Amino acid sequence: MKEWNIKCVNSFSMEKVIVAMQDPDMGMKMRNQRLLITVIPHAMTGRDVIDWLIQKYNICEEEALHVGGMLVRYGYIYPLKEPRSLVLRADETPYRFQTPYFWTSTRWPASELDYAIYLAKKNIRKQGELMEYEKERYSLLHKRINHTWDFVVMQAREQLRASKQRRKADRIVLECQEQAYWLINRPPVRSLTLHYSAVLYHTIESCRRALGRNRVKSSICLEGFVKFSEQYQNHDPIMQGCLPSNPWISDDTAHWTMNSEIVPVPTRLRVERWSFSFMELLNDPIGRREFMTYLEKEFSAENLCFWQACEDIRHGESSKIIQKVEDVYKNFLAPGAARWVNIDSKTMDKTLEGIKHPHRFVMDDAQLHIYFLMKKDSYPRYLKSDLYKNMLAKAIVPQETKKSVFPFMRRQRHSSPSPAQAVTQVTEEDGRAMGAGKAGTNSAAGSHV
Amino acid sequence: MPLVNNKVGDDCTVGTDKALADGKALVDSLIKVVACYRHLASCVGSCTDSLQLRDELRQTREKAQNLAVSICQHLTSHLRDKSLPEEQRKEMELLWVAFSSGLELLHVDMCKVFSMGDIFSLANSASLVQTGLQGGGSEVAARALSLPDLNQARAPEAGLESQERSTMEQEISQIDHMIDDMEMKVNVLRWMVEPHGPQYADPLSSTDSASLALLSVDEEQPGHQPQSQHSHMVVFVVLFAVVLVATTLSVCVVFFS
Repeated sequence: MKEWNIKCVNSFSMEKVIVAMQDPDMGMKMRNQRLLITVIPHAMTGRDVIDWLIQKYNICEEEALHVGGMLVRYGYIYPLKEPRSLVLRADETPYRFQTPYFWTSTRWPASELDYAIYLAKKNIRKQGELMEYEKERYSLLHKRINHTWDFVVMQAREQLRASKQRRKADRIVLECQEQAYWLINRPPVRSLTLHYSAVLYHTIESCRRALGRNRVKSSICLEGFVKFSEQYQNHDPIMQGCLPSNPWISDDTAHWTMNSEIVPVPTRLRVERWSFSFMELLNDPIGRREFMTYLEKEFSAENLCFWQACEDIRHGESSKIIQKVEDVYKNFLAPGAARWVNIDSKTMDKTLEGIKHPHRFVMDDAQLHIYFLMKKDSYPRYLKSDLYKNMLAKAIVPQETKKSVFPFMRRQRHSSPSPAQAVTQVTEEDGRAMGAGKAGTNSAAGSHV
Repeated sequence: MPLVNNKVGDDCTVGTDKALADGKALVDSLIKVVACYRHLASCVGSCTDSLQLRDELRQTREKAQNLAVSICQHLTSHLRDKSLPEEQRKEMELLWVAFSSGLELLHVDMCKVFSMGDIFSLANSASLVQTGLQGGGSEVAARALSLPDLNQARAPEAGLESQERSTMEQEISQIDHMIDDMEMKVNVLRWMVEPHGPQYADPLSSTDSASLALLSVDEEQPGHQPQSQHSHMVVFVVLFAVVLVATTLSVCVVFFS
């Protein structure tokens, strides 16, 4: 591994290094750690680690320091003397390998429950041993996972009792392992005030953003929804059925043919929909064509042309945007243009500025201005005009295909009994059997909570 | 957690009181087994990993699963019973929450053991990580299985590794399903559950008898080994001091007489 790109060392490679260090012949040299009367094996000095890395991978001291430092920072090796200082020192400072169970893994991240159990254990083992930041986190966890707090305490006790079964040396090792794991996964906070001010800043920002959001009372929302539903009910093929017949049932595609994008004569329902909203009119190709004819009569067709051109810029190919913006400027916005549109000065200035650096949405403000102009002015007049009224009169209402003589050759209008009919049936039944029905719906509601 | 002991109860609550006590005992037992399993799992891949450890893990896991299944049935049937009185229901919900947390921990540990068993195969013992542990986890496993002596359990058989792995896969998915099932069948509102105990628990005392009912291993016994070591050291030091004093006295006697 002569050329080792340090930058792409990931956890998988680090694990390989650790495993390579275990080799009985070519691996790390292990020493004993002496603690008063207890002797714990499998300790190594920082210097040993560096030397081994240099020798094994044929790298320089600086690289070895870096790699070793990563091994410590990611928790594969932990220091024995100063556990909170997660650096690799190239001297006699002792280190030990972390057990694979505690290797940092994204598949099983350290959970809040685990941390709570660890802190509870630490507290039970020796009262007052929790540090300030740990006490804070403990209280926070107590609030957050309060419902399972009895479990936390009991599990902490049981884990302590389980570890009491081991000899003292092993107990020390296990405690060190766990402490090292949590120092990596829940690092101590450097400064309380810094931490708090960061938290406050974020809270203030999110509150500010929340204030700026548009709010609508739910009652008004619902009113709007009810109005919409009432308006569109007759136009909905499921609620009203579709004429002449439902193609899915009768295999007759007349309905689709009659309602396709461009037809010589549109259906009546379709023409009625143009009066619901301006967007309905513009979204319908025939409607848009009719509206254009009307505007030409009124000598204000350039508005609709401008709007269409802007739509084309917004939804068209990126490579053609610059060219299209140029054309729009030439045709509609330049002073003395052939089809000059009437935009207020502020929007015009802003748009002209934006044209210097054209992008997809540079015409948005101008387009919106013209849209509202048409909506407020031309659109209501169009709906009152003779052109529209003639269209409405000319529009066809397809005949429902008659039921043929043979009963099993019926052509159905509805795909299934209309949901509206089903609802009225149910309310009738409820009205009749009040007592029993109430209990039934209550239990049904309860199970859905 | 105090045991619910409702001596003055109506006829209808006596049955549910017993059910509650049973549920508590089962959940306490599960918590103990989960703690022991976690303890054993932390040794996988380390230098103390062995066939015996894997076998102990398997036995502990099986015990945990049996407990989990019986608790699941017990609690589900009682919580779906509409006629359960309110206090009993609250207690049951506490048990439910504790059970689901324990199951969560067990599931994570099982997954970790499974994947580490993959990486650290016992056939290649040269790659086991030297973590400084020296003893095995037999006492912990004995505690989990509530056996006074692990020799009573079956001896580990060789060649069981691959079979164990496929079983583990199935068991992990079974626990997964159990967790999903539980959430669907019983609706416990976690924010309404209030625990009994305080935020800061009292330190473990040697006379902590509340949950010792299920232990068959004596609490004092495991402390014996290190304690006896310690007492030996004290005796040696005292003897040495006595000998030293005697020698100095005799030297003084010799010199000054």
